[in-house]
Amino acid sequence: MAAEVREAEQIGNTSDSDSVQTELLETNEIPGKSENALLVATDSFEDLNYAGLTNGTLPTVSTSGTIHSLVKKKARRASALLDENEAAGDNTASSDETTNAVDQESSEVSGEDSQEDHLESRLTDLSLNETESLPEEIPMTQLIPTSSDIEDVNSLEWKQQRRHIFIISESGKPVYSRHGSEDKLVTIMGVMQALVICTHDFQKDTLRSIVAGDHKFVFMCRDHLTFIGITRGRESTQQMLLQLTYMYNQVISVLTLSTLTRIFKQHRNYDLRRPLSGAEKFFDNLLNLMDVEPGLLLSSVRCLPLDSSVRENISHSIVQHAKVKDLVFALIIAQNQLVTLVRMKKYYIHPMDLHLIINLINASESFKAAESWTPICLPKFDACGFLQAHVSYLDEECHTCLLLLSVDIEAFYILSECKAKIKERLVRYNALKAINDSLRRNSYSIQQCSISDLRHFLYKSRSIAQYTSPELEAPYHTKEEQQRLFDLYHYLHDRIHTSGRQLKILFHVGPYETLLGWVTQGFELYAVFGPLVTKTIAIHAVNKLLRWIKKEEDRLFILSSVTF
Amino acid sequence: MSGGKVDIKVVLLGKAYAGKTSLVERFIHNRFVGDTVPYQNVITIGAAFGAKTVTIDNKNVIIGIWDTAGSERYEAMSRIYYRGARAAIVCYDLTDKSSFDRARFWIGELQKHEENCQIYLCGTKYDLVEAEPALRKIDERETRALAIDVRGEVYETSSKTGKDIERIFRKIATDYLATKKEPMTEENPDLVRLRKASKSKKLCAGCKS
Repeated sequence: MAAEVREAEQIGNTSDSDSVQTELLETNEIPGKSENALLVATDSFEDLNYAGLTNGTLPTVSTSGTIHSLVKKKARRASALLDENEAAGDNTASSDETTNAVDQESSEVSGEDSQEDHLESRLTDLSLNETESLPEEIPMTQLIPTSSDIEDVNSLEWKQQRRHIFIISESGKPVYSRHGSEDKLVTIMGVMQALVICTHDFQKDTLRSIVAGDHKFVFMCRDHLTFIGITRGRESTQQMLLQLTYMYNQVISVLTLSTLTRIFKQHRNYDLRRPLSGAEKFFDNLLNLMDVEPGLLLSSVRCLPLDSSVRENISHSIVQHAKVKDLVFALIIAQNQLVTLVRMKKYYIHPMDLHLIINLINASESFKAAESWTPICLPKFDACGFLQAHVSYLDEECHTCLLLLSVDIEAFYILSECKAKIKERLVRYNALKAINDSLRRNSYSIQQCSISDLRHFLYKSRSIAQYTSPELEAPYHTKEEQQRLFDLYHYLHDRIHTSGRQLKILFHVGPYETLLGWVTQGFELYAVFGPLVTKTIAIHAVNKLLRWIKKEEDRLFILSSVTF
Repeated sequence: MSGGKVDIKVVLLGKAYAGKTSLVERFIHNRFVGDTVPYQNVITIGAAFGAKTVTIDNKNVIIGIWDTAGSERYEAMSRIYYRGARAAIVCYDLTDKSSFDRARFWIGELQKHEENCQIYLCGTKYDLVEAEPALRKIDERETRALAIDVRGEVYETSSKTGKDIERIFRKIATDYLATKKEPMTEENPDLVRLRKASKSKKLCAGCKS
């Protein structure tokens, strides 16, 4: 116990830390702890490090991923469609198709070659001249040649954005930009790619981040792509890196790693926007989600509060009616919250993958119109293959979404029947109504915890990779205040997790609120109090809070995992 | 992908934003959702499935429709959607020249892999062309020529007004019923009976004599 507080850090507070040590809750009572987790309980945040990310060498793409082993026993045609590489050998018809597409590409690429080279050399020159002035105040405008007044970079609106995210191909071609159109940002993207390449080629080093004024530039190179995040918010380099990793995962989720590597192996100059067309809104939406959803920062998922009996009923309905071969995961999601998840024995879902699924549902209106059948790659599950997702809404208002993820590309009609049966049963047992009621109640109010001066908190149970937090209420009811609260959480999270010096407890007194962060092996807790709260009061309150969460854990978390 | 409780599998193919989803929405739900931003509302992810029953000459035909995504990255997947399809509605935007080239591509694919699939060409967003004839980028003569080439039909529809949408699906259902009848008309029951009768008579006579 003493070891846990030994590293506690005090900022602007003088209370005696020894007197509160004994007050800390026994760790064997961790709320929301379960041996039988349904999600992979890894801390992706701490797993992040530059050594693994910026390494120029590519991971070897093998076709022996999870999906491959799942379909190996199946008919070859299914695996051929799942894995395009194999398709070429297996199926002559589809190999024709590929050559066709390649012909089209090559003709187009060759047309652009000369222009591209010209552009690149121009950019390299530019950047070389300007690199010295980089650490000065916001260099963006200085870097831009005067002739290009049509570029988005010069617009005030673009410059005032709090955060920018860019994806650039190795040859400097724009792939994605969060704000503005990529076509009008070619120059600045080229400059950034030039910086990365110059550092790599001339200094034999890797560019990680640049701080310029109040802007922070974070670079990440992976699989022929450069991801760049620029922020003037409170996010740390590590947290920006996490956001970039999510962007990378989203690219993989749309294309698969094997396709991405194949494309750039064949054409270094390939315009990746073509295969990504129509997927831009997934990137936009994912970034918006990061601003409002702490689960991505905590690499954990929020569950919809439900009575455990209702939740059990729902998962049993799924198990009973979706006992189909090759169905890997079945899950219900309601407004970004997990209602239930049933999985194949042996296979787990990673929180990062689950966030991509939530993002898929959140970003597309098209699922609301009709039952859909769509390929999705879950990078942590298998980066090289697609799962097929049967997506449908169970209610008229389109709140509750059922996803059935299978490796069988032909399973649509079977899964469609499963869906009808599941829906019928959920309606009969009033489970859909229970979900809707819970959605209408909007999670829970902080007042239900009956702890005075506690304004908001995030509690993550590490063993199950799930978190809970109350609604955002006054004073955090405006957009600006919510943003400020998020900044505080980012700050607290960063101070605790910054590599090199891991803290267990952090007590921080700010001008408007007092923060307490507490990380143990079992949980992470970030609590926000009113400004006049002392450390002793805060520790007492946190202990009380943990007891409350413990009492409510059956409702707030999914503690048992159901398998087919 | 075949099976399910549908009589005809119909697949919609065409460039992204050609208006395939709007066409299906109009046919199945008789609604047009793109009122605020016409024809640019949602982009389909993967493929969506819907079904509707059409009654032709007192016969019910269930049409199962696969509304595929127009985005290029789904191209490799699209074969699972049109495999075993009886009819394909190849859509192109009347105001977008490049969408017609894309339509030609899909026709090529269909002819290569699905010989038995009847092709129906469909120029969409007719209401735009009607309101502003200068917007038309695709010549009707060109589309008719292509339709003759593929022994298909050509329609110009508007999901906003509903023009010709019902017609296209009724035609598909009628064509389906006609092909279903064909094998029966070949072996005319009357004709067979006559032959059999005469044969057996002869045999009988032969046996007797």
